[in-house]
Amino acid sequence: MSDLLAAMAALRTPAATAAGRGVTSDLTIDETLLLHSVGWEPVDLVVGVSWWSLPWSSWQWRTGEVGEASQAFAGAMAQATDEMRQECLRAGGTGVVGVAVELSVRSTNIQVALAGTAVRAIDHHPRPPGKGRSAATFVSDLSARDFSLLLRAGWAPVSLVAGASFVIAPRRSASQWAQQKTQSMEMPNLTQALYLARERAMERMQEGAMSAGADGVVGVKLQEGPLAHNARVMRFIAVGTAITLVEVEHRTVSPTMVVSLDDPVVQFAATTLGAQV
Amino acid sequence: MTVAPEPAARDGVPEAAERRLRSGAWSSGLSVADFATCLQMGMDPVGFVQGYAVMQWSWTTNRFGPSAAWGGFTVPGGGYQENYYCPHGYVSPDHRAYGMNVEQRWVEDAWNQGWWLAFDRMMDEARQLGAHGVIGVVDDRHPLAGTGTQEFSARGTAVVVPGADPPAEPFSTLLAGQRLAKLIEAGFAPVSVVAAASSVAMLGNCITTYQLSGTSTGWFAGAGAVTEIAQVGRAQWAVRNLAREQARGQLHGDTLHGTSMDVFEREMGEGSLAIQCVIRGNRVRRFKDFSPLPAPAPVVRLT
Repeated sequence: MSDLLAAMAALRTPAATAAGRGVTSDLTIDETLLLHSVGWEPVDLVVGVSWWSLPWSSWQWRTGEVGEASQAFAGAMAQATDEMRQECLRAGGTGVVGVAVELSVRSTNIQVALAGTAVRAIDHHPRPPGKGRSAATFVSDLSARDFSLLLRAGWAPVSLVAGASFVIAPRRSASQWAQQKTQSMEMPNLTQALYLARERAMERMQEGAMSAGADGVVGVKLQEGPLAHNARVMRFIAVGTAITLVEVEHRTVSPTMVVSLDDPVVQFAATTLGAQV
Repeated sequence: MTVAPEPAARDGVPEAAERRLRSGAWSSGLSVADFATCLQMGMDPVGFVQGYAVMQWSWTTNRFGPSAAWGGFTVPGGGYQENYYCPHGYVSPDHRAYGMNVEQRWVEDAWNQGWWLAFDRMMDEARQLGAHGVIGVVDDRHPLAGTGTQEFSARGTAVVVPGADPPAEPFSTLLAGQRLAKLIEAGFAPVSVVAAASSVAMLGNCITTYQLSGTSTGWFAGAGAVTEIAQVGRAQWAVRNLAREQARGQLHGDTLHGTSMDVFEREMGEGSLAIQCVIRGNRVRRFKDFSPLPAPAPVVRLT
C-alpha cells in the first residue's frame, strides 16, 4: 500500500493516543525531519512574556546611558527566558529551539515576548553535559536546521543571551549647530553615543554567555539606531544563542560542493512585461 | 436585469455553486509546482472550494454579564479571570481601585462562529465534490469597509485520492505541494486544520496604570521605578495560553504541526489593553512507525 493510501486509511480510525496530551509545535515539516535525523523530537509550543516599567523621566534632562532602560530590558529578558524554560520543563522538554524574539522599547515600558518549540532527545536521555557542566534546559533562537548542524559539529546551545544599552547623545552647542548646519559631516555626538551603546550591549551579552558557562555566542542579531520617541537616544540591542562544546573537540562538518545546473527562472511583470529575475 | 438573491449558504452549498461544482472543468488554488506534486503523490484536484461568512460583532449585550459590580465582575460561563486590588484604600472617586484581567468570551465566540462558519462552508463544498480532503487551505479576516462587519473566508483545493475508501470526514490541511508530500512521507496523515482565538482584556488597577504611564516612582505607586508590570505580563501570558489550550482541545490525541501564533493588542484607554491571540496549525496523525531519515548531507552551492 502506498504511503498516501495508508494515510487515508489511518484517518478512518481515531488517534492511537486519544487520551494523551497532543504534541504541539511551530516547526515546519523540514525542521521536524531534520530534528528526527539527529535524534530529537518536538514536544510542545512554549512561550515567555514579560513587560517592565520604567519612569518617563528616565529619558529627560540628561546625557549618557539610560541605566533604567538597560536594567528594565535585562529584567524583562531574564524573566521571559526563565518563564519559557519553566514551561519547557513542565512539558518534559530538554530545551527550546527556534525561539522568535519580539522586542519593543517604549518611553515608559519595555516588552519581551518569546515563542518557540520545546524539544527532547527521542531516547529521552538528557543531552550530554560536556566539560563537566550540568545538563540544564536550554533556550535558543537557532532554527532546527542550525540546531541539528550545531549538534553534528559537537556543540550544544546553552541559553538565549542578550544585552542592551540606550545612550542619550549630548546636544550640540548653538555655535556648533550654526557652523555645521550647511556641512556634510559626521555628527560625532551621535556616533559616540552609538559606539558607547554598542560596547555596553555587546559586553552585557558576552557576560551573560560567560555566566551561563558557554564558550561563545552564535547567530547574533543586532538592532541599532535612534528610538522612535526620542531621536537623540541611540539604542543598541544584541541577541544570540550562547553555545558550548559538548564533544571532546569540534567535529568538522565537511560539506559537499554542488553546482546547480538550473537556469535562473525569468518572470515577467504583468503590467510592463519587463523581465524580473 | 434583476439578479435573484443567492439562497442562504447556511444550509449547505448554494444552488449556483452546486451547479458550477457539477460542471465538467475543475478549478484549483494550487501553484503549478504544487499541482505537479499533488499529482505525483496520487491526489487529483477536483475543485477550488471556498467558504465565507460576514459577521457583526456586538459587545454591548454580554460584555461582563449581569453581576458587574464593585469588586464583583465575573466572566459569563466561567473562564480566565484575575483580580488586582488597589493597595491604597480609598483615595478618590477617580482612583483606579480595582483592576482585572478577564477573558473576553464574547470576542472568542464571535471569532469562532465566523471562522468555523466559513471553514464549514468550504468543507461542505468539498463534501459535495466527494473529495477525500482539502489541501493548501488559506484563511483571512478583514473588515468590510463602512459596514461595521468582518468578513471571514476559507479557501482550499479539494482533492480525491483514487483507490482510497471514501473518508468518514474529509481531511483538511494548510499544507500543499512538497511540504505535504514530505509530511506524508515522514509518516504523518493530515487530519484537519486547527484554529483558535483567545481574547483577554487587561483593565489596569492604579499600580498597573502608573507603571504603564511611567509614573511609578514614588512610595504611592507601591513599586520601584524599574519593575515588572505583573498584571500586563500575566495577561500577555494568559492570552497565549488560552489559545494554546483551545488548540490542544481540537487535537484529541493527535499532533499539532506547523503552528503559527499571532498576537495583537490595542489600548482601550489609559492603563487598559485588549489582547488577542490567534493560533493556526495542522492536526496530523502518525500512521506508520517512526523511521528517522539519515542525517542529510551538508552541501555548499557554488554559484
